[in-house]
Amino acid sequence: MKTGRIKAKNRTGLIFFPAYDWEISAFHPERKERLLYTHDQVIEEGLLDIEGISEFKAGIATDKDISRVHFCLPDIDSVITDSHRISAGGCIEAARLVLEKKVDRSFALVRPPGHHSMRVVHGCRGFCNINMEAIMVEWIRTNYPHIKKIVIVDTDCHHGDGTQDIFWHDPDILFISVHQDGRTLYPWSGFPEDLGGSGARGMTLNVPLPPGTTDDGFIYVAENLIRPILDEFKPDIVINSAGQDNHYSDPITDMQFTAGGYARLTEIVSPDICVLEGGYSIEMALPYINTGIILSLAGVDYSYLKEPDFRPDRFKQASVEMKYIAGLCDSMLNYWRKRQGIPLKKEGIVERRKTVRYDTDNIVDRQAEFKKMCDCPGVFRIETRASTGNSATCVHIPRGACESCRSQGIEWFDSAEGFDFVQMQDMDKDIFTSRKG
Amino acid sequence: MILGIDVGGTHTDVVCISKGEVVSSMKVETAPDIVESITAGVSSMNIDYDGIKRVVLSTTLTTNAIIENRLERAGMFVSAGPGVNPKSYFLNRDFHLIEGAIDHRGRQYIPLDEPGVERAARLLKDSGIDSVGIVSKFSVRNHYHELRIKFMIEGRFKYVTMGHQMSGSLNFPRRIHTVFFNAGVLPVQARFVSSVKKAFAGLGIKSRILFLKADGGTFSSSAAERLPVETIISGPAASIMGAFALRPDEKCAAVLDIGGTTTDIGLLALGLPVFEPKGISIKGLKTLVRGLKTVSVGAGGDSAVIVDKGNIQVGPSRKGPPCCLGGTVPTVMDALRVLGYVKTGSEDKAVKAVSDIASACGMNVEETAKTIIRQMVGIIKNAYTDFLEDVNANPVYTIYEMLHPETVKPEKIILIGGPALALKTFIEEELGIPCVVPENYDVANAIGAAVSKTTARITLLADTQRKQMICPELEAEDIIPPTYMIEDLKSSGERLLKKNAVFLGLADDYGIDVVEEQCFNMVSGFRTVGRNMRLKLQTRPGIIPEFRRKASG
Ligand SMILES: [Zn+2]
Ligand SMILES: [Zn+2]
Ligand SMILES: [Zn+2]
Repeated sequence: MKTGRIKAKNRTGLIFFPAYDWEISAFHPERKERLLYTHDQVIEEGLLDIEGISEFKAGIATDKDISRVHFCLPDIDSVITDSHRISAGGCIEAARLVLEKKVDRSFALVRPPGHHSMRVVHGCRGFCNINMEAIMVEWIRTNYPHIKKIVIVDTDCHHGDGTQDIFWHDPDILFISVHQDGRTLYPWSGFPEDLGGSGARGMTLNVPLPPGTTDDGFIYVAENLIRPILDEFKPDIVINSAGQDNHYSDPITDMQFTAGGYARLTEIVSPDICVLEGGYSIEMALPYINTGIILSLAGVDYSYLKEPDFRPDRFKQASVEMKYIAGLCDSMLNYWRKRQGIPLKKEGIVERRKTVRYDTDNIVDRQAEFKKMCDCPGVFRIETRASTGNSATCVHIPRGACESCRSQGIEWFDSAEGFDFVQMQDMDKDIFTSRKG
Repeated sequence: MILGIDVGGTHTDVVCISKGEVVSSMKVETAPDIVESITAGVSSMNIDYDGIKRVVLSTTLTTNAIIENRLERAGMFVSAGPGVNPKSYFLNRDFHLIEGAIDHRGRQYIPLDEPGVERAARLLKDSGIDSVGIVSKFSVRNHYHELRIKFMIEGRFKYVTMGHQMSGSLNFPRRIHTVFFNAGVLPVQARFVSSVKKAFAGLGIKSRILFLKADGGTFSSSAAERLPVETIISGPAASIMGAFALRPDEKCAAVLDIGGTTTDIGLLALGLPVFEPKGISIKGLKTLVRGLKTVSVGAGGDSAVIVDKGNIQVGPSRKGPPCCLGGTVPTVMDALRVLGYVKTGSEDKAVKAVSDIASACGMNVEETAKTIIRQMVGIIKNAYTDFLEDVNANPVYTIYEMLHPETVKPEKIILIGGPALALKTFIEEELGIPCVVPENYDVANAIGAAVSKTTARITLLADTQRKQMICPELEAEDIIPPTYMIEDLKSSGERLLKKNAVFLGLADDYGIDVVEEQCFNMVSGFRTVGRNMRLKLQTRPGIIPEFRRKASG
């Protein structure tokens, strides 16, 4: 008698938290049943019984875990629910499993999502309140200081504008977002020329793909842009924001990616940790994509996996689009390779103004950012005034800040006036302070 | 009167219970022929066979048939559709892949390849196969493909097992394993049931015969003939039910049944036995068979003791009886005899055996005896710690459960089995938990078999968008209105249980528990298009009312 067992090549940990008792609202795409059919499929396929694949409990993110990333206004409990803490806590557990070498790879199949959450949080935007990947990254860097270079590959159909915002000035975090062109889809951002703050130029890479992009286009980007960059950068950890709304059946986007394509993409990117982001075709796509990602992460044959209505000849990439995608990959690779040749301003304060819109909670926030240019990553402060009536000055003293940046940050914190709140993140000391303005 | 019979690897225990008391008990050596052991045990008891109203059997028959590769050759029809490569689950060349696919909501999306069924059936028939299994992916959501295959091969095979009858739970590979084992033990069990009936008739016992299942419940012999796979690993279930019957008021307690070769570990929590959530495993294969959560560890009273490079090693195997009872290899029992914790057998032989060990590792005899026992208890402790960790590691899927974690922490250990009393102080000391050794501890497993209630479990699914309610285990289907609610599903379930009580082998006195309940609104285009409801009902496992014990000690 044969063993009747499949063995995973990579030990794979799964944190599954479908939050069956949480929803934005009853008719919202982000609702209770979102991961129900995925759960059914994962159980029916027996994935959790495969030797080498194990399921683990999620955790609960603490105030400190959240404060390392976000300035929550007026405070943390006002902008999140327990479900957000568990979703972020699930990601932290996924990272812990890999770093404690309990597994080779992990997948946080959790909800609600997080990649549209920026550093300053007034509420929910793009179904996101707090940024799970960013919270996980800061947890990793705090608890495992030897881990420096981290890559986040965001393959959600929407631009990961929250993650981009949080790591905009960070010279150690490479953020690559592949998404449907921002001229055609929320959050209307993520263009090739957005390459990161001047101290971290080239550490943000946006790859906007035309609506209708198929497996061919996505796999081309993975093989000809993401893979070479990962090979050159040699990161300590690769994280994949594995949003699944590029699927041809997704109701809120316009791409034509398949479950088999997602599995292949996962194989090429070879992330250490995957985090579920969006994906709202809950019956026709999510069950199959998640099965594909799990099989691919574990190194188990996924060639028999396809959607019920899959036809191999259904989606073909037009050659003109393929040419466009190839050209885009070339120029992004060029930006990446020339990133260190860009001359840097080494002194003074650089000011940046922007308006952040919260579609889900209907909030408008006007922000001004003041960044000190320095040999170190450079302190910055954000002045935020939201339509909720809350205003704040938020000071971020980055990891590896020099003495002069540190005292500048403290000076900003102490002297800020005319705001409801003043908050400060001191990353090296791992201290987070808040006072009334 | 009730007769409980537990056929174990070494001993066959028989108890006779009348008016809530054990009136007679008997231990005989298990013979190679199980029926022979049963008749030997029963006929050596001095009881009036006419008064026997109930006989319950727990045997190693199906377990051993699987473990020792004595399964009947079974053919398998497997219909999978896309997903994990189904051929990775094929256990031998009698597995046949049939085209066809059903999705997670029970919608067919690839029709069944009927000529393929025909081809496979002919091949299986030509190779002389009598028992076949039919499994399709998501058959618990829609059993049409399984039924269709059965219909097509009707009359050509003596035994047919279908996936959706085994369990209403999802898990295709486990369904394959379960069906394969059931198909393989069906003929074995059928022969056994008929010879047991004959033997009992020969003794003049006319009562109905029940079988103990892995979940600690019993079912009728006809159900046991249909679903023999449910009787695998019923030995440890007998132990836990025995402890449960003897100590009914324990709210959270571990059960240790210390036998000759192994110790079985189980758990009572919230006053009830704890189940293996997904199904039990046998021979390294996971199944959907509902069973009590147990683990067996190779440490018992007869565990062999050897010295390896100056270190004492206990178990994991048994190499015959203890020296004090005429064996040749020193055992834990000999160490207990030396220290005076047991009085059976020859003290001189025990001292001789332990002295040999003592001189090989340079200690005195008493010290050596204590070391042997502590080591044996240490093995049990490690297994117990891992077991509890496993019980408490189950992931949860809702915020409520996440914020209200329930950790199982036994307050007591119920010790049963032959060496239980002798080992009590050692186990208390090593595990740091108070132990109780109930009366009749040495035949607790036979008592467990005798007094366990009949149980059954069904799954109900309702999809108001598809206007359908199904119960896979009972092959029941109904059309439902859009207004159908979870409460309606519950009453349908209760009705189905009642209607099928005889088929399920249920006695009259069953209470119904809801073990799982989910209701989701299905939304499409920003409006609710239906409700997707899932319900699992089980008749409450427990002890028959004729045997209710008051708390003691
Ligand atoms: Zn993206
Ligand atoms: Zn998205
Ligand atoms: Zn500086």
